[in-house]
Amino acid sequence: MPVDIAERLRALPPGSAVALKLDPREYADHYFAVLNATLRDVGSETEVHTIYMTVTNPAAFVWSLAQALDVPSDRISFVDAISHIMMNYADPLPNATYIDSPRALEEIMLRIEYLIKKFPHPRTIVVVDSVNALAIHNPPELLSEFFHILLNSLKSRQVITLVLETNEEEATPVEQMLNLVVDETIDIARGGR
Amino acid sequence: MEEPTEPPAPAVVPGNGGLMGPATVLERCATGIEGVDNILSGGIPRGNMVLVAGSVGTGKTTLSLEFLVRGAERGERSLFISVTEASDKLMQNLSTFEFFRSDLVLNGSLVFVDLPVVYDRLGLEHEELLPDEIDILIRTIRDLVRSLGAKRLVLDSLTSVGYRIRRDERIRDFMLRLGQALSDEGCTALLVSEVSPTPGRYSLHGVEEAIVDGVILLWNTRRQGDILRVLQVVKMRGTAHSRAQYVMELTPIGILLAPHLKGGRGEGA
Repeated sequence: MPVDIAERLRALPPGSAVALKLDPREYADHYFAVLNATLRDVGSETEVHTIYMTVTNPAAFVWSLAQALDVPSDRISFVDAISHIMMNYADPLPNATYIDSPRALEEIMLRIEYLIKKFPHPRTIVVVDSVNALAIHNPPELLSEFFHILLNSLKSRQVITLVLETNEEEATPVEQMLNLVVDETIDIARGGR
Repeated sequence: MEEPTEPPAPAVVPGNGGLMGPATVLERCATGIEGVDNILSGGIPRGNMVLVAGSVGTGKTTLSLEFLVRGAERGERSLFISVTEASDKLMQNLSTFEFFRSDLVLNGSLVFVDLPVVYDRLGLEHEELLPDEIDILIRTIRDLVRSLGAKRLVLDSLTSVGYRIRRDERIRDFMLRLGQALSDEGCTALLVSEVSPTPGRYSLHGVEEAIVDGVILLWNTRRQGDILRVLQVVKMRGTAHSRAQYVMELTPIGILLAPHLKGGRGEGA
C-alpha cells in the first residue's frame, strides 16, 4: 500500500510534474490514499494551496471526502468541469469554479491560472483528476496538446502538478505523451515506487 | 479644416528581442493585460491607434475598459468615449470586476464621456455628419485628450460614429486625422468595431483596418457545441507579435488568455 506518497510529494522541488498511477482493481483504496496524501498530509501544511481540478467526480463529492479528512476550506479550491454536464449544479460550492464542459480545455487552463492569481501562496499544488476522465470527452491529440501546454505553463510558475491516472492494460497515446512531460511517476499499486 | 502636422518621432530604445528581434523597439504602452502584453512583446507601441473588432458578446468593451483601468492605475490618465451605452451603466457593469477601482473615476484618472451629449452640445444634429462637423468632432476629441493629458483613449464604438459619417472617403479622412491628432498627443487608442463574422473584414466600411496601426480580432468559435471566445492580433505596426489564436476568459480579476488548442488540426478543433 502507498505508505510514502506524502513523503514523496513533500520532497518534490517547485515546478515538478508527477503522474500518480492508480490500479483500477483497487481504485477506491488508491483514490482515498491519494486524497489523504495530497489534501490532508501535504495540502494542509502552512503556505500550501491546492487547486483540485476534477472531471472524474463533482467537486461536491471530493469536498465531502476532504471534509472527512479535516482539510480546511481556505486551503483548497476546485475547478469542476463535470457538474454542469451532469446537470448537478444547483448547489455550487463557495470554494469552486465551474466549467460548462470537460471539452473546454482552454477554460480549464484559464480557471487554474485564475485561482493561482487570486490566491497567491508560496506553494501551490494543482491536482488533475484525471487523465482517464478527460480522455472520455476529448480526442487524444487535443488532450496531448492540453497536457503539454498546461504542465509546462505550471512548471514555469513553480507550481507542483499531480496528474491522476488509472492504469490501462496498454498505454494510451495520452499516457505515452504524459510519460514524456512528467518528471516522475508514482505507482500507487507498487507502494509508491 | 486643420493642416495635418508631422507627428513627433516615437521614443525608441535598443531592442533585446533575441535573434530575430529588431535593433530598436518603440516605446510601449503596456495594456496591463498580461496575456495581451505577451502577445505584443510588451504592449502596444505608444501612440498607435488600434481597432478592436468583433461581434456581439466577444469581450471588446471589457478588454477596452481593462486597458484603461490598468493605464489609470499606472498613472496614465485614461478616457472612455461612449457612443452607444450610457457611462453610468458601463460603470455599473465595470464595478462587477475586481480590477475596477472607483477611486480612479473619483480622482479623475479614468474619465467617461458620452458622445451623444457631446453631439448635442456641439450642435451636431445632422443624421449624416458634414465635413465641417467631422472636423469639429476630431478637434473636440483632440482637445479633450490634450486638456486631460490623456495617454489612453477608447472610442466605443467606431462603428456607431461610422454610421453617421457614412461615406468611405470621409471615414478614411476622419481616421487618418484622428490617428495623427492622438499620436501627436502620445495617446494610445483602441477603437471598437462591431462586425458580424465575415472572413477578412474587420469594420463597417472596410477601410478602417487599412488605416489603423493594429487590429485585434475577437470572435466566438465552437468545439463540439461549446462556445469559446478567441483573440488574435492580426496586425500591429511597430512591434513583433504573435499571430496565434488565444482563448480568452473574462474573469473577475481581468482578462486571461490561453493558447487555442488545435489538436493537430489546422483550425480550432
